Amino acid sequence: MATYKISKGFDVKVLGQPEPIIQELGGQTRFAVYPSEFEGIKPRIQVRVGDKVKRGQVLFFNKRMDRTLFRSPCCGTISAINLGARRFPLEILIDADVNEESETFKSYTSESILQATREELTTYLLDSGMWPLIKQRPFNKIADPDRTPKAVFINAGNTAPFQADFSIILKGDEDAFQAGVNALSRLTEGQVHLCTSVGIELPTFDHVETHIFAGKYPSGNTSVHINRISPILPNDTVYTIAAQNVILLGKLLITGELPRTKVVALAGPAVKESARKYYRVPFGASLDRALADNLEGEEIRLINGNIMWGDQVKLDTCAHFYGSEYFAIEEDRSRHLLGWTMPGLCQYSSHRVNLSTLLGMTHKWKLGTSLHGSHRAMVVTGWMDKHQPLNIMTDFLVRAAIAHDTDEMVQLGILETDPEDFAIASFVDPHKTDVCSIIKQGLAEIEEEGI
Amino acid sequence: MKFLFDLQDKYLAPLFEKGGKFEKLYPLFEAGDTFARTPGDVTKGAPHVRDSIDQKRLMIFVIYALTPCILFGIWNAGHQFNVHNNVEEATFLMDMIRGSLMVLPIIFTSYLVGGICEVTFALIRKHEINEGFLVSGMLFPLTLAPTTPLWQVALGIAFGIIIGKEIFGGVGYNVLNPALTGRAFLFFAYPAQISGDQVWVGSASKAPLVNQIMGYTPTTTDGVTMATPLGVAASSEGVSAQAALADAGYSLSNMVSGVIPGSIGSTSVIAILLGLGYLMITGVASSRIIFSGIAGAAAMGALFNLLPLDNSFAALPFYYHIVMGGFLFGIVFMATDPVSAAASNRGKLIYGFLIGVLTVIIRVANPAYPEGIMLAILFMNVMAPMIDHYVVQGHIKQRTKLARALNHA
Repeated sequence: MATYKISKGFDVKVLGQPEPIIQELGGQTRFAVYPSEFEGIKPRIQVRVGDKVKRGQVLFFNKRMDRTLFRSPCCGTISAINLGARRFPLEILIDADVNEESETFKSYTSESILQATREELTTYLLDSGMWPLIKQRPFNKIADPDRTPKAVFINAGNTAPFQADFSIILKGDEDAFQAGVNALSRLTEGQVHLCTSVGIELPTFDHVETHIFAGKYPSGNTSVHINRISPILPNDTVYTIAAQNVILLGKLLITGELPRTKVVALAGPAVKESARKYYRVPFGASLDRALADNLEGEEIRLINGNIMWGDQVKLDTCAHFYGSEYFAIEEDRSRHLLGWTMPGLCQYSSHRVNLSTLLGMTHKWKLGTSLHGSHRAMVVTGWMDKHQPLNIMTDFLVRAAIAHDTDEMVQLGILETDPEDFAIASFVDPHKTDVCSIIKQGLAEIEEEGI
Repeated sequence: MKFLFDLQDKYLAPLFEKGGKFEKLYPLFEAGDTFARTPGDVTKGAPHVRDSIDQKRLMIFVIYALTPCILFGIWNAGHQFNVHNNVEEATFLMDMIRGSLMVLPIIFTSYLVGGICEVTFALIRKHEINEGFLVSGMLFPLTLAPTTPLWQVALGIAFGIIIGKEIFGGVGYNVLNPALTGRAFLFFAYPAQISGDQVWVGSASKAPLVNQIMGYTPTTTDGVTMATPLGVAASSEGVSAQAALADAGYSLSNMVSGVIPGSIGSTSVIAILLGLGYLMITGVASSRIIFSGIAGAAAMGALFNLLPLDNSFAALPFYYHIVMGGFLFGIVFMATDPVSAAASNRGKLIYGFLIGVLTVIIRVANPAYPEGIMLAILFMNVMAPMIDHYVVQGHIKQRTKLARALNHA
């Protein structure tokens, strides 16, 4: 077990930490699958509105890689398929019924997984619809089953406010986690790395190397883990997976059935204090019971993820395929008088231009979504790099991405990164540059051109 | 107040927004609107929160840091005038009034003309009015002599803003520091009004209007001739530069306090240090550039001290270079302009150091230009991208090596 000390980073001090309690949340009848969650796929829908589906029935597959199947989380009737731009299916809604009919798959034991071949396991996971839980770097897309990765990185870090604490989610599912780890160890020729943050106490597991990352946000990001342990060289592939999803893989392998539940944390300043906790919800089930009456504020933004990284979702959302936490924050459209010169006692900043920072105020803030300024041309100041723990020159990488200079982007290490690693650069930038989108665009260009 | 803002949102804003009557003037409305209140925009995606800092605040903080220099510059312009024109019983207030009458029109002209240039380009290009010109428009007059004719101020700032900045695309795209570009233009186009011995102190005979306001009758029709310390040191032949300075009444202590003739804002080391302190506390300017610049000037000055040269300026103790002329003002306020400076951490150190070195070389080795900081900064502005290029190349080599080592490849 190695400990890595990450000196650069910044913790955004926001209110709304979830209590470490898990509440069971069952009995939902509204379920949803969101094909839009899976970036880079071209879904071919296999069901129609009104069709009866059973748990585990194929809903759609990826036209670009037709072995990747996506299955129904529940038994019921397809109530709607909502399409978005270019007729891309955004959501498939299912009304659950009491029927418990379910597709079954082969079941393994923790030991027999270790005897399985790589080929057997990839086919099994692709067929069961759980393969998309495994992602790959570079480009952070659904893993390519035909490329053997040099390593697998399991992320159990929680440095962003407020990522779920994996030690709470893990309780009671240690065997499933070990089974999942065993499966992952068969997928790679190299090592499986389990990376956690300080404060997350985990038991020891076999076939995995545990690393602890000490430091502020974003020391819990997968890119930081890879960068310190085994940086990606050109033509390298590594698989990455969130720790909770390893439990889901394990449950599938042991029971031979799709996992029934997952745990999500609900946090943020716009969530009532009594509701800030963890919920065990059926896979794909509506979160209404946790969200209704528990959000406070005029206009609320619900994020599938944390305050730094995640997508905005509708308030009547169902549990997503990816992600272990939801964050609710109030939209802040307030306008402040003479914002350019006020002392800034009630304004949160990482720079020493506000009285609140100069006085060293350490309390947690009820932050909103205000941009706090208007967009300006990017100036390469070196500030974006101030809190960047990755061994990259952030400002220059962003500039190369704006200039569409793919060669320089690769040289500067964009392949080791994911847009989420630039959330803090976006946060601190006084010019309000949308760094994450720029990097995302840059990565897409490189992927299109080929490395 | 709220009533006024509601009125503005309801009746004024629609006029300027798309489809409104004054749609073309939107940047002007936007500037005023966001000056009064921060914009109400929200983040479009992750990260969902942002730091409360914005460019307006950043730029205003530089102006705040300049306040000691501005105030001291105003007083000093008046004080030098009163002393050298033999105005009897000149009080602090009289110095301030006389100084204000000399300096404020220059600042006002600079802002007016610079603002018009900025707004015109913003309207044509349909982008927001950038706060950068607030700083350029203030830095530029502070580098001028208090007697600079206003038409030259207007010409200089227009050149600086248009040629130095707008033709490249505005703030963020320019290569050179706009304020210094304007000053360099004046320096080469109208050397008589910005260098030499006759421009640093106002002459009573040349300011009839102000005299009338102040109720003062000039006793002589001659202009006031006062060389700046740099001028004295550069022309000290035969005697040591230190002795020549002492002879002209310049000591270390009055060069530090700044009660001497010179450019409006850059004579007082104390005022600049106050500004520097403010910039350091707020973290707005790069300490790397400033301190490596001072180190560079000291190192080059010391090297000249050691070399057996037949040049009395070269023998001047190195610390004189730091307190003399506009060096400190330039390195603190001009060299740190993040757009035209080097951006990488190592690059900033090299950039600052070389500015210091070049300033002293130009001062000592080139008798035609007694002040070297302006040319040194402009030259290093041009070189900054190259410095960054090599720093980035070095970084790429180092990171590839490290990645290979960690992979045992």
